[in-house]
Amino acid sequence: MDALLSQYIDAYYLHLMVLIGINIILVLGLNIITGVTGQLSMGHAGFMSIGAYTAAIMSVHLAFPFWASLLAGATAAAAFGFLLGLPTLRLEGDYLAMVTIGFAEIVRVFFLNFEPGGKAVGLSGIPEHTGFTLVWTMALLIIVLNAKLLNSRIGRSFYAIRENEIAAEAAGINTTRLKVLAFMIGASLAGLGGGLYAHYMTYIAPQDFGFMKSIELLNMVVLGGMGSIPGAILGTIVLTLAPEMLRIVAEYRLLFYGALLVLLMIFRPNGLLGDIRWYDFKKRWFNKGVKTWPS
Amino acid sequence: MSSKLKFRLALVLCCVMMMSIFAGCGGSESAPDDSGSQGEVIKLGFLGALTGSVANYGIPGKKGMEMAIEEINASGGILGHQVEGVYDDNKGETTDITAIAKKYITRDKVVAMVGDPCTGLTQVAGRIAQDNEVVILSAGATGTGVVEIGDYVYRNTLLDIYAAPAVVDWMVNQKGWKNIAMITSLNNGYSTALTPVFKAAIADKGGNIVLDESINDGETDFTAQVTKLKNAGADVLVFTGYYTEAALIMNEVQKQNLDIVLVGGDGLYGQDLATLGKSAVEEKVIFYCGFSSDQPGPETAAFLESYRAKYNEEPDMFSAQYYDAVYILKKAMEDANSTDPKVFKTELAKLKDYPGVSGNTTFGPDREPIKSPVCLITIKDGKFALLEKIPVNVE
Amino acid sequence: MFLEQLVNGLTLGSSYALIALGYTMVYGIIQLINFAHGEIYMFGAFAGLFLVTLFDVNIFVALLGAMAFCMVLGMLVERVAYRPLRGKSSRLSALISAIGVSIFLSTLMALLRGTNTTRYPEILKIHTYHLGPLELSSLQIIILLVSALLMIGLQLMIQRTRLGKAMRACSQDLDAASLMGINPNRIISYTFAIGSALAAAGGVMVGIYYNAVWPYMGTMAGLKAFSAAVLGGIGSVPGAMIGGLTLGVLEILGVAYLSSSYKDAIAFGILILVLIVRPQGIMGQKITKKV
Repeated sequence: MDALLSQYIDAYYLHLMVLIGINIILVLGLNIITGVTGQLSMGHAGFMSIGAYTAAIMSVHLAFPFWASLLAGATAAAAFGFLLGLPTLRLEGDYLAMVTIGFAEIVRVFFLNFEPGGKAVGLSGIPEHTGFTLVWTMALLIIVLNAKLLNSRIGRSFYAIRENEIAAEAAGINTTRLKVLAFMIGASLAGLGGGLYAHYMTYIAPQDFGFMKSIELLNMVVLGGMGSIPGAILGTIVLTLAPEMLRIVAEYRLLFYGALLVLLMIFRPNGLLGDIRWYDFKKRWFNKGVKTWPS
Repeated sequence: MSSKLKFRLALVLCCVMMMSIFAGCGGSESAPDDSGSQGEVIKLGFLGALTGSVANYGIPGKKGMEMAIEEINASGGILGHQVEGVYDDNKGETTDITAIAKKYITRDKVVAMVGDPCTGLTQVAGRIAQDNEVVILSAGATGTGVVEIGDYVYRNTLLDIYAAPAVVDWMVNQKGWKNIAMITSLNNGYSTALTPVFKAAIADKGGNIVLDESINDGETDFTAQVTKLKNAGADVLVFTGYYTEAALIMNEVQKQNLDIVLVGGDGLYGQDLATLGKSAVEEKVIFYCGFSSDQPGPETAAFLESYRAKYNEEPDMFSAQYYDAVYILKKAMEDANSTDPKVFKTELAKLKDYPGVSGNTTFGPDREPIKSPVCLITIKDGKFALLEKIPVNVE
Repeated sequence: MFLEQLVNGLTLGSSYALIALGYTMVYGIIQLINFAHGEIYMFGAFAGLFLVTLFDVNIFVALLGAMAFCMVLGMLVERVAYRPLRGKSSRLSALISAIGVSIFLSTLMALLRGTNTTRYPEILKIHTYHLGPLELSSLQIIILLVSALLMIGLQLMIQRTRLGKAMRACSQDLDAASLMGINPNRIISYTFAIGSALAAAGGVMVGIYYNAVWPYMGTMAGLKAFSAAVLGGIGSVPGAMIGGLTLGVLEILGVAYLSSSYKDAIAFGILILVLIVRPQGIMGQKITKKV
């Protein structure tokens, strides 16, 4: 399938599409934590690197099959999501953001000192198992599962926690457990995305998962519209392609990218798609009478 | 503006954004594929960071490469073809270099790529180049596992595994500096790869390491490390990173009234070492390098002169290596009488005693570069000065 | 050695504290993590450099000039990137806008000055004083003194002046304050100006102390200062000072007695532990949630 595609689409575009697919998986994970449940996480790249390194080391040093390492990466990230989710019991808002930043930095420093991971030189020679077909099959699967989850009892409880934690608790939602659950799901998706990334790029290094990577993922969630799956997807597509398109302005690229972020937020303060869900799309396209767009 | 209108506007904008990026798709496929015909431009792709925190090492490389291409074009090009450089910025990131390498190969149809300064990124681009049968000549990757990728992957660098032991031998046995303090830059791949090479050589030549500290590139506060150094009783300090941090460490050393010499690799070759360090580095920094701007050969002298004239600044190691890389590619293409990477890559492997500006280069039987002799450089009056030439032992 | 390392830590910490003050003041009033603040600090350092190299002024003129320049810059950033968003969007949108400004400013400086590190000229002759086992440089003394003066001045301004009173009112309740005849836009603008001026002072002093400035110096410093502000209790002015000094000392002592390879991990690890034990930071006030 991948071989067939590469005959018709040139490698550069295929690469960008794979990148979008991987980013969608990562961003949907962060969307559950930050967008849906409202817990500001600025350390998503930390979970991603745990998944990437776990999967890569199992493939390279321990010769595990690809699927097993991918699964192990996601599990390891979820375990850390659980550990990091615990302090959220007590911390709120920006204190939580600080803990997630600190966590991601600690993970980065750990991998900078981690001999089997090649330290700053990075880990190369990871077998290439990921291609367009696999990434997009997984991405689509995760989009569907995500939509199902957010429409379920648990998903609605997540939204409730974001809107008003006290009210949610009063309504009988076990907020503590659900917040930890949100962290675990988000982290496992980050780990999965990290594993896919490692087996696609064939090379990972600690600097790939720095603070700016976390920020980039957060940008995608917020730009798309907090808590909205179509929004997260759109935000991912726009912000993955924007830096590539801006190559025409050469060294002014990041200047334009920064200005673009500001302008997009000024003109679409609630994100490109606001808080629109699949559900709203259905309503809009199948029932012309209902108007649900937020202003 | 009504909300509906606003939303539609946003959608249209997104569509335009997406279309503009996919617009080139058809164009590149229908481009003529007869890259061998006379008069066709030869394209070389540049790999390196032009923005971001590692752009210090990409920008000089780009300048060196641009200058070489200009000179070649002025003197009739390669085999009658004009040469064009393609310069995309990779910010020093994996996703970017993958995108760029693929873009160079599929859209720009380059015959060779020059770069990247960093080993890990070179490996990523190297694998893409190998799969697509395009030559890559790195001008900075010093770590292991680069040319092993395949016969399209080369590098033009001074290999530390040959040079560092010679320098350690000079330090321990000629200077009698036996107690050695080491500082590594933790987030710098070059530095973390060079440190074990130095450590092995120190153990081998009978020195002992009295202090093993680390810093990070981009930081400016090294007070704690230097205070520790002051109390460690070291004869010499070995720092394996780049010139910026070396200068800042020496500034702090001077501030704390410490008298110690810093020894390092060719990553210290950059005029910034002297401009940032001023009196703190004067005759206090010694490093090895493939060439010396103090007593240059004729090629190096010409290079230095035209580089200063063109950019009004001193070249560093990266500009020299990128410059050489372009000429090495030119030589290979002319020897093979072909601009097809499949053909000229075999000539590239035969390179012997090429008198480059960054040193005399030979690709050995394993296609690894060998540069001999190695120059020991220090700083006198704010300029690089040759201290000694030491021969390199290659078995 | 311990005392020397302690002084190293306090010097580093006072630069964190000066930057952290700006974070905490802005946060106290509009609950925005101003991610562009690190870049303001960087611009301050470069403004000082510009004054010193072109006009050969002394350290205090450079300091004041840089502070004035960053006041304007801070107000400009607030006007262009944050005010249009205020009231219309969530806090996170403003955060993304701040990140955009941060990327824009650091790239701008990289384009203007190149990405190389620039040497800060010696404005001061450095003397070393020996106090028993302790070695102190005149630079360290000046930095500690100037930071202390600025922090005391800020504290006096907030507690004693009309403007300070208005700022405190705004941080308690923006809507109620505007009903009392305070123009919140103007107060927010002033807050940005004062915070930016302090960051600029930090930038100039760091430039002089380490002899080096470069366009990406703001990112890590900003992150550290933000951590310091949170550690001290975000929104609290004395908290930012204590948080900054604590973080600086922790970092240096981490290198001195534990491991320089894990320096940042140690600092952040302790930070997380502190927050788990005291979720509102060292000086932060516990806010009772109202239903």
